[in-house]
Amino acid sequence: MCIWFRQGPRQEVAVGQGPDCDERDNGQTVFRTATQRCRPHAAIDGRVLEELAVECEQFSPVVAVEPSPEPQCLLLDITGVAHLFGGEASLAEKVVRHFARRQWQVRLAIANTMGAAWAVAHYGDTWTIVPPTETIAALSPLPIEALRLPKKTVDLLHELGVYQVEQVAALPREQVSSRLGPELLRRWDQAVGRLAEPIPGPTPPPEFEVAWSADYPTGRRDILESVLDRLIHRLGRQLQQNGRGALKLECRLECLAGQAVPMTVGLFEPSESADYLLGLVLMPWERLRLPSPVTAIHVAATVTAPLVLRQQEMFFLGSGSADHHRRYLAMLVDRLSARLGPDAVLRARLLPDAQPERSWRYDPLVNRPARRRRFSSSSDTLAPRPLRLLRRPVPLQGAVGSAVPGYWVLQGQMHQVFDVWGPERIETGWWRGTTIGRDYYRVETTTGSQFWIFRRLRDQRWFLHGMFE
Amino acid sequence: MQCKHPGPALVATLQEKIAQLEGGRQQCDDRPISSGCPALDRLLPGGGFRRGTLVEWLSAVEGGGTATLAMLAAREACQGGGTLIVVDRRREFYPPAAVRLGISLERLLVVQVASAADQNWALDQALRCPAVAAVLAWPEELDGRTFRRLQLAAEKGGSLGLLLRSEAARREPTWAEVRLRVVPLPGRHHDSNRRRLKIEVLRSPGKINHGSLEVEFDDETRDVHLVPPGTAAGSRRRAGA
Repeated sequence: MCIWFRQGPRQEVAVGQGPDCDERDNGQTVFRTATQRCRPHAAIDGRVLEELAVECEQFSPVVAVEPSPEPQCLLLDITGVAHLFGGEASLAEKVVRHFARRQWQVRLAIANTMGAAWAVAHYGDTWTIVPPTETIAALSPLPIEALRLPKKTVDLLHELGVYQVEQVAALPREQVSSRLGPELLRRWDQAVGRLAEPIPGPTPPPEFEVAWSADYPTGRRDILESVLDRLIHRLGRQLQQNGRGALKLECRLECLAGQAVPMTVGLFEPSESADYLLGLVLMPWERLRLPSPVTAIHVAATVTAPLVLRQQEMFFLGSGSADHHRRYLAMLVDRLSARLGPDAVLRARLLPDAQPERSWRYDPLVNRPARRRRFSSSSDTLAPRPLRLLRRPVPLQGAVGSAVPGYWVLQGQMHQVFDVWGPERIETGWWRGTTIGRDYYRVETTTGSQFWIFRRLRDQRWFLHGMFE
Repeated sequence: MQCKHPGPALVATLQEKIAQLEGGRQQCDDRPISSGCPALDRLLPGGGFRRGTLVEWLSAVEGGGTATLAMLAAREACQGGGTLIVVDRRREFYPPAAVRLGISLERLLVVQVASAADQNWALDQALRCPAVAAVLAWPEELDGRTFRRLQLAAEKGGSLGLLLRSEAARREPTWAEVRLRVVPLPGRHHDSNRRRLKIEVLRSPGKINHGSLEVEFDDETRDVHLVPPGTAAGSRRRAGA
């Protein structure tokens, strides 16, 4: 699939009477508003496309920016995924609608080859699906520019009176290459599928790494700190020049005895601010024990992302708008993750699994270049659950049988059952090979405590699983 | 000798004065946060919890419904758009139960910590953050200095700190503005969706005589309301046998 981004959303940039305010857009007059805002379209360039590519990952696992000096298209490999969206037509419609909501005007085409999809997207209708057997038929009426040819070749062909793709197809192959250059044949073969043209994988982001090696190995922390300071400032400049921010910083301190001490910091949102990054690195640094003097330090930003957020703006005081909140929160998450570890700060997500221990999962917030999560938190469909769920169900000693135990003893404390509600039967997990069959009861003890216990159907043994804290 | 009963206006003025002396701190948002239980709000001066303060919840027993009440207060605190941070040292916090109580997962962050020191540090950081509306944790040991630091952090960040502790903490001094004790009342409800709890206000600003109240938590509607006076123990049911 090829998606051609023709026009970006309009952005309000200036107040004034722009001469192009009355332009006709899609057949509709754009009326001047009372404030006379001029709203040009967002520019389309590689960086914008990279961000859009991340959005497109919901449609296909293979998304690439078109390999061109001035890219305007995204290429998606939708082999074997269209049925997940209800067929190719439905997928195409979803993509168009997705971008229309964001005010992007796109054209897209689905075809057997990348070349054909590109051609039809640019010279066909808003969205076109070329059936597998009709690639040549779909290409034939298109102008020769649709073959992604260099301007020189196009001009030459025009001089020869060749304007349409079907005319190219009629040319004798053996003469085309010698007279018009190999490019024309290559593009033609790519378009009709005679020559393989895989969708390029995502371009690897540039590497950011800085290093320092000591003349004399040192264990003095003040010296090492100033080295870290210098290294991270250098790294920050590299990041800044490339318009990228670090999402994960890895430091390696090589020590005299031969071992290397690692130090890793993850970020919630990309940052290129050296002071900010240094502040984060110094958190694990404070707790770090050096086994021997340090001979070298490497600092690398191993995960980076295009910089959308200016960290410098984070240092402000004032109102509590949503954007400010987000930034304060990002700073908090970074600090917590820097000291407690990248897997310590978590966001919960509900899963459609009946087994209580599997009905949610945690996702760490840092080191994640693309986060797109749906939150299914409709609380009405959920059954009452305890706020405290033991990591493993605790067997209630001596409680066996179908009847709810009248009491149990746990950690030297006797719990006498006063009232019982249930059962709620949970049977699941057969597809995982471990069938779970449990009858859950909510019980109240004589002290008023409420517990969640279950009987394992397999052997009629009883377990404590949670507390209604 | 008989003492004249002071007028309610005088009591109110004095209460305000005491509150000023006790507090004397700047506030970012004067609107009180509802506890999720209107009857309890009425018992608290100012009509609820104040942002930038700590609230201590003491549980008489395990599984006594304290966290449920605290979670409802957290839900109220997050109404304005802030984030709820749960600092979970035991790693037994169960998010689906929080969702059922009306907590949005988009607004919930869980921080897992391995030690008491990390927990206190994380609490301090979270309370200090202006984007955080409420922080909920189960700190068992809290020395006076740490406690004071947390109180200052909450004051700085304007967040509401909800500290769930066991009854044993009752003997310790507190820096929390409000200290509550929750006792579940067994056998006084009709079905599993309703649960009766007694809330005792052990400490609240500017008050000497703190009250207590009996409330009923409804799992269906997820709200807490005062038990109407005169309702006797409900019918008991025993199933499964």
